Amino acid sequence: MTSDHRTAPPTVEATPFPYTVAARGLLENESRIAEPLPAAAQALLDGEYDNMLACVRCGLCLTSCPTFVVTGHESEGPRGRIALVRALVEGRIPLTDGLIDREENCLACDACTAVCPAGVKMEPIQVAVRAAIEIARDAGTAPSRGLVASAIRAVVLGWLFPSMPRFRAVVWLVWLYRASGLRSMARALGMVRLLGMRDADDLLPAFTPDFLVPEGQVYPAAPDTRDRAEVALFAGCVMSTAFGSTSHATVRVLQRAGCDVACPAGQGCCGALNAHAGDREGARALARQTIAAFEPGGDAPVVTNAAGCGAMLKEYGHLLADDPAWAARAARLSSRVRDVSEYLATRDLPAMGAIAEDTVVVAYQDACHLGHAQRITAAPRDLIRRIPGVTLRDLPDKALCCGSAGVYNVTHPEMARTLGDRKAEAVAATGATIIVTANPGCQLQLQASLARAGSRVKVMHLVDLLDAATAPGGRP
Amino acid sequence: MTGGLRLEAPAGVAPRRTRAERLALAADLRRVVADGDVLSDDVELEVYGYDASFMAQLAPSVPDVAIVARSEADVVAVMRYAAANGVPVTPRGAASGCAGGCVAMHGGIVLAMNAMNRVLDVDAPNGQVTVEPGVVHARLIEVLAPHGLLFPPDPGSSRMATVGGMASTNAHGVRAVKYGPTGAWVLGLHVVLPDGTLIETGSVGSRAKQSSAGLELTKLFVGAEGTLGVVTRLRLKLLPRPKARALVIAMFDVLERAGEAVQAVFRAGISPSAIEILDARSLRAANLYRPGLGLREAEAMLLFEVDGNPAGVRWDAETVVEAVRELATHVEWSDQEAQIARLWEARSVIGAAVGVLRPGSARAYAGEDICVPVDRIPEALRAIQDLSARHGIPVATYGHIGGGSLHPALLVDGRQRDDVRRAIELADAIHLLALDLGGTVTGEHGVGAARAMYMPREHGPALDTMRAIKRALDPTGIMNPATIFPEDVPPTPALDVTLVPGGR
Repeated sequence: MTSDHRTAPPTVEATPFPYTVAARGLLENESRIAEPLPAAAQALLDGEYDNMLACVRCGLCLTSCPTFVVTGHESEGPRGRIALVRALVEGRIPLTDGLIDREENCLACDACTAVCPAGVKMEPIQVAVRAAIEIARDAGTAPSRGLVASAIRAVVLGWLFPSMPRFRAVVWLVWLYRASGLRSMARALGMVRLLGMRDADDLLPAFTPDFLVPEGQVYPAAPDTRDRAEVALFAGCVMSTAFGSTSHATVRVLQRAGCDVACPAGQGCCGALNAHAGDREGARALARQTIAAFEPGGDAPVVTNAAGCGAMLKEYGHLLADDPAWAARAARLSSRVRDVSEYLATRDLPAMGAIAEDTVVVAYQDACHLGHAQRITAAPRDLIRRIPGVTLRDLPDKALCCGSAGVYNVTHPEMARTLGDRKAEAVAATGATIIVTANPGCQLQLQASLARAGSRVKVMHLVDLLDAATAPGGRP
Repeated sequence: MTGGLRLEAPAGVAPRRTRAERLALAADLRRVVADGDVLSDDVELEVYGYDASFMAQLAPSVPDVAIVARSEADVVAVMRYAAANGVPVTPRGAASGCAGGCVAMHGGIVLAMNAMNRVLDVDAPNGQVTVEPGVVHARLIEVLAPHGLLFPPDPGSSRMATVGGMASTNAHGVRAVKYGPTGAWVLGLHVVLPDGTLIETGSVGSRAKQSSAGLELTKLFVGAEGTLGVVTRLRLKLLPRPKARALVIAMFDVLERAGEAVQAVFRAGISPSAIEILDARSLRAANLYRPGLGLREAEAMLLFEVDGNPAGVRWDAETVVEAVRELATHVEWSDQEAQIARLWEARSVIGAAVGVLRPGSARAYAGEDICVPVDRIPEALRAIQDLSARHGIPVATYGHIGGGSLHPALLVDGRQRDDVRRAIELADAIHLLALDLGGTVTGEHGVGAARAMYMPREHGPALDTMRAIKRALDPTGIMNPATIFPEDVPPTPALDVTLVPGGR
């Protein structure tokens, strides 16, 4: 698709026809476009133009969309967002604050993609439009985001995520902040509130440092294994550090399932946060780094325990499709990627034991990037149901995002809080004492939301639950 | 056929506003709207310029202001203001309509009702529920289920259609063959009239399930597509939720035999809760879209749903199987809820999913809702296939064969000028076919703007009676002014268009 769809207006001739062409749109008397999109931005959007045209505007997506459900505004729903990007790429409306706001309000949860009967895919549209917005900002043709925000963004996306040693150091500092009493002090003094960081502060993970540092080590399969298999673990940035204990649990569960678990050196962050924040080039660089790190592993499945990473890794083929040197390699890596629940569903697990003395009611929250983006909903539930003494319940409105959505709960605290509160109510309605999910962001968001509601429901990652259930000799 | 369109705007409707006038209008409305949102940004308005119709894809029409109403008081205030100032008002639900009925073709106010979406009162002992118009059908069904109650009308678009939109188009859906259209289940309405007066039809404060008191105003507003007033509340009649259902699937290699099968089932004394047909192309689309379904290739598939008690459902299903066995190449039935739900889910999305049949093309909602006499369905299906071949536009057809309702799905590449022109001509031919066969151009989606030009031919002098009613209730013509009546639809510049700028 070239950019010819914005060059010429449709010819209007006097042939009568049974449809009304309202060429007299609202915008015809006004300057059409203040600034044209930079060529690179236009090219990115052109790449998704066919995807946008597939939308037949039937409206099926509306009730799946968290921001539409909350606001009731068409521009805050998938159909409206696609119409706006289409109008932008066709040169009918300019890149204004309003348009940027509506697109960036999207959680990229892909609930709309999952229900769309016409096959529209929202995630690549959002990756493209956010990157296009940044290109226009850099070119000075779109409203800038302000100095402080730009600086934070540059540090996080350009300095923190690309380097795991730096990332680990920062996570250490976070631990120190919590463990040293500095956090209590900052809270008591009102500094957190003063900085407008209360929501972000609530989301800080509670953990003891137990990092899983991938350095090429291999964790061998359990000794009594018959059907031995090799897998490579994608450890991720947050999961290998702040959730290091969950990553070690993942290794243990895979070992018990008969796997030699390799942790290839050279891997780092998957790039999902960069991609969703408009740093497409940064995401592509991280994708190339990941691909190179896992290629020595041949065709062994690449297993991840974070839904967001899994969805991103499976998207590498699309992200690098226009890079001739990497397209095939990216597609090959994507085809190897399995969420840990998806992979475990194909393996024999040791007999599971009860995780508590009494029966336990467990609710399961589909991480959007597992349920919607990867369409994996049955495998995690089947695994939970196999644990003796566990009753599994579904949440009301289970397909609705909890508000985490990567760093959305930091960038859009108000919407995230509204969605988190809804989710906390839904959890309460199930009567569950444990809520299980499969993504770090969802875990933190659920914890913060439940704490705000005064709930004592425990949030667990699926593999932590499976680790307890498959532990030799069982656990109380 | 151009339906004798008039070129000037209808009486009482002002010309399009300048930017300054629009901002002044929005400022005025912000003063009177207490609970809702008054939207006037270009970005906000851009997305209130369409519904699902092909017409709106070709010719979106952006309003001067959009209001997301959040209370009945909002609607009263807006209508009072609009009446006093001669501003057109176009009510809008989910905008899943296919005929431009909620597109503000004369500008003015789009009044979005989707955020008024509360289920106000489930009155189980009296078998009724009171709802706001923005409640989405699937949500209502969910809310009623724990009470053991059912709102029987069931549009294929259950997951998007609002109940207010269903009433305004008198939507029929898949179960109308047994339970009738939406209108049969509306006991009363709150309606804000074009002058801002709020009335309650079906007797004020009544919880009675039937009434013979006075003119049947409820029926007047049902199906009026918002041309007579804005529905702000609905009192709906409910049934106990049937305990069981079963689905009979029958495949046919000759279309006519599918038609005969429907007659055979009726003759056997069975009243199915749904009878759906999918033609060969729709079957292919369903299989491509949901590979797990594994439906057989055939000229046509019929789905017969029967509901009731478990023993009766079994007997009904077996009787249907017996009745169609001789005519079908294959027939089977199931009372497994998971399988039934899977088939219905596939059926409900088939409309938008037919795009999979022709990469680069998408479904165009035009000529998509004809209804013909039940005994002429095979003839109609064959004629649609002929027209499809003659116009060079692939068409997949499915529909509620039990009521004669057919949904031809046109597949159009919007970049191709020629494709768009041929699709428009094909839709026109399909509409004329329906009229020739003794049917109607719209079985359940409504007239909107796209089908207004067929109204004189379809109704004759009765259209004047409709005009008289419209004038009596809306003398200045501000209420959804480009709907139903052809003289109110703005002029038609060109046939020579594509869906996208710069297309070929």
